[in-house]
Amino acid sequence: MAMLSEKEKLMLKIQSASFAMKEAELFLDTHPTCREGIEYFKKHKELCDKLKAEYAEKYGLITTDQQTGEKKWNWVTSPFPWERSID
Amino acid sequence: MWQYEKKLQYPVKIKEPNPALAKIIVSQLGGPDGELGAALRYLDQRYSAPTREVQAILNDIGTEELSHMEMIGTILYQLTRDLSIKEIKESGFDTYFVDHTTAVYPIAASGVPFSAEYFQSKGDPLTDLHEDLAAEQKARTTYDNILRLTDDPDVRDPIKFLREREIVHYQRFGEALRLTQDMLDSRNFYAFNPSFDK
Repeated sequence: MAMLSEKEKLMLKIQSASFAMKEAELFLDTHPTCREGIEYFKKHKELCDKLKAEYAEKYGLITTDQQTGEKKWNWVTSPFPWERSID
Repeated sequence: MWQYEKKLQYPVKIKEPNPALAKIIVSQLGGPDGELGAALRYLDQRYSAPTREVQAILNDIGTEELSHMEMIGTILYQLTRDLSIKEIKESGFDTYFVDHTTAVYPIAASGVPFSAEYFQSKGDPLTDLHEDLAAEQKARTTYDNILRLTDDPDVRDPIKFLREREIVHYQRFGEALRLTQDMLDSRNFYAFNPSFDK
């Protein structure tokens, strides 16, 4: 893969943590009493929340509920993910 | 309900446009074994699922399929950017272009528009889960075929991710089927339909 920018590296970390949560979610749906699975989910959720907050502050919102400030609706100031050059 | 996240489930960054390839990959959006059909199949079947576990797996895999639709849409969008009319004609993309320009629209590679006839929501959990298991395998084969048709690493990488998800979903649906069978009479699984008969 080509050299990644700081922004792309942070997004990749979010995608990894978020994917780990998704995998745990599906596994726990059919193994709802697996303590190890619940612990795994929790660990990645904490990391994911932290990374998403950092991304929103530095590069733009991931969800509209991260909106801060009264002057500008920040949702429309960063690109949607299908745009090729995220930077 | 859902909340949108402004990110793809897995990165898609395609450098080289390839309209001929887009015409093939569009089948995983609107074709018989595509992601739109998968999302609608599971999100419609979930209401009549027999247990919370089966409802959850249909709900959560159905939700993931929506993010796969977005990945396929992104692949199509990036494969058809900055095209000249000459490239459109020579690649055979002209037959798609005439109706949709370079917009994303759910059709099969053959050109047949998306149809709800591609899936079933039967209201019998054994029947629905067997359909779901088959659907994941059919989608996996389609991704295998797409991988035979392209050597562009930028396209192969997200397609390989999507292919792998079909295998994980197959595993989870297998577990959902086992959970359903466990609550039925093992001497005759078909004695009654737990989603209808009380």
